[in-house]
Amino acid sequence: MSLKSPLRRVTYLGSAKGGSGHWFAQRMSAVALVLLGLWLVAALATMGGASHANVVAWLSSPVAAAFAVLLVLVAAWHAVLGLQVVIEDYVGAKGQRLAVLIVVKFVFAVAAVIGVLAVLRIAFGVAA
Amino acid sequence: MPQFKLPENSRVQPGKTHPAPAGARDVRTFKVYRFDPDSGEKNEVDSTLTFRRSCREGICGSCAMNIDGVNTLACIKATSEIRGDVKIYPLPHMPVIKDLVPDLTNFYAQYASVKPWLQTRTPAPPDRERLQSKDDQEKIDRPSACILCACCSTSCPSYWWNSDRYLGPAALLAAYRWIIDTRDEATGERLDDLEDPFRLYRCHTIMNCAQACPKDLNPAKAIAEIKKMIAERQH
Ligand code: SF4
Ligand code: SF4
Ligand code: FES
Repeated sequence: MSLKSPLRRVTYLGSAKGGSGHWFAQRMSAVALVLLGLWLVAALATMGGASHANVVAWLSSPVAAAFAVLLVLVAAWHAVLGLQVVIEDYVGAKGQRLAVLIVVKFVFAVAAVIGVLAVLRIAFGVAA
Repeated sequence: MPQFKLPENSRVQPGKTHPAPAGARDVRTFKVYRFDPDSGEKNEVDSTLTFRRSCREGICGSCAMNIDGVNTLACIKATSEIRGDVKIYPLPHMPVIKDLVPDLTNFYAQYASVKPWLQTRTPAPPDRERLQSKDDQEKIDRPSACILCACCSTSCPSYWWNSDRYLGPAALLAAYRWIIDTRDEATGERLDDLEDPFRLYRCHTIMNCAQACPKDLNPAKAIAEIKKMIAERQH
């Protein structure tokens, strides 16, 4: 039996005065992801049957490389934002919630850097 | 925190049955959830089935319960709308005080936390009420029709998992009602208080709330409007 009043339990630490940035970013990154996805699909569709060298040449053009880097970054960002929502919804214990969140963000940061480096290697001709 | 299993003493087991009197016409089976806090087991009490009710016309909000799998007001739900047995449970995912009576303490505290009253600094005119246009009045007309039955909040998965921090559709609809009231002068403070990953942004527009509301209100839309207003003042 708690001696705290119900209102005290509800108001507790007060508002975080945040969350709208996350909400907005989730929507904007979704729009960006749709556009970048369309670009990727359109580009790949025109290259059906192209040789490895052709695809590498295409990806080393500044515009294609820039879009590819953006795609990697936006995809990772959007995934993190989405997973954060799921974690906050379903991981109840406070310490656990923060720990899972940090691990997820770390994993996606590493994945994003690997993705970007992979594109850059092609763009700068290291991999070719 | 998500809880997918009922506590030991709340698991549903077969209970008592009362056969219809001989010669009865229009017989329907009612299956009613029972919970006796003293014995820790349902179905041992039988002389009194406990539930809240008052107005019997859908205006007090007391008799909200889960009937045939849907949160609704018992007094205006017709048996003829239900095919087969009538299954009756308390509002989902709330602590049960007894039988069909859920503990709504937290729900009411959340309502109180949004300060559901007019806040102004400008004194009221000495000789008349505060005025607002007909159009502005109509904006608060529908949200004001909420009877705080809790059908919406207790149908909301986000509320099930995080009701200690998420305010839920009913309290947020009430907050919205005061945010859009053109006579109120605390709109900014009200938005400040709501801008929180848990208080407000747990709503993912699942729309269970609008589906459940026996007064045909749309808390999901009100919540979306609140989010838009908060975004508006950033851009
Ligand atoms: S729309 Fe929001 S408040 Fe309504 S049921 Fe869904 S998550 Fe809950
Ligand atoms: S919005 Fe509808 S369901 Fe929710 S508390 Fe008000 S009347 Fe009940
Ligand atoms: S008894 Fe008042 S709403 Fe049902």
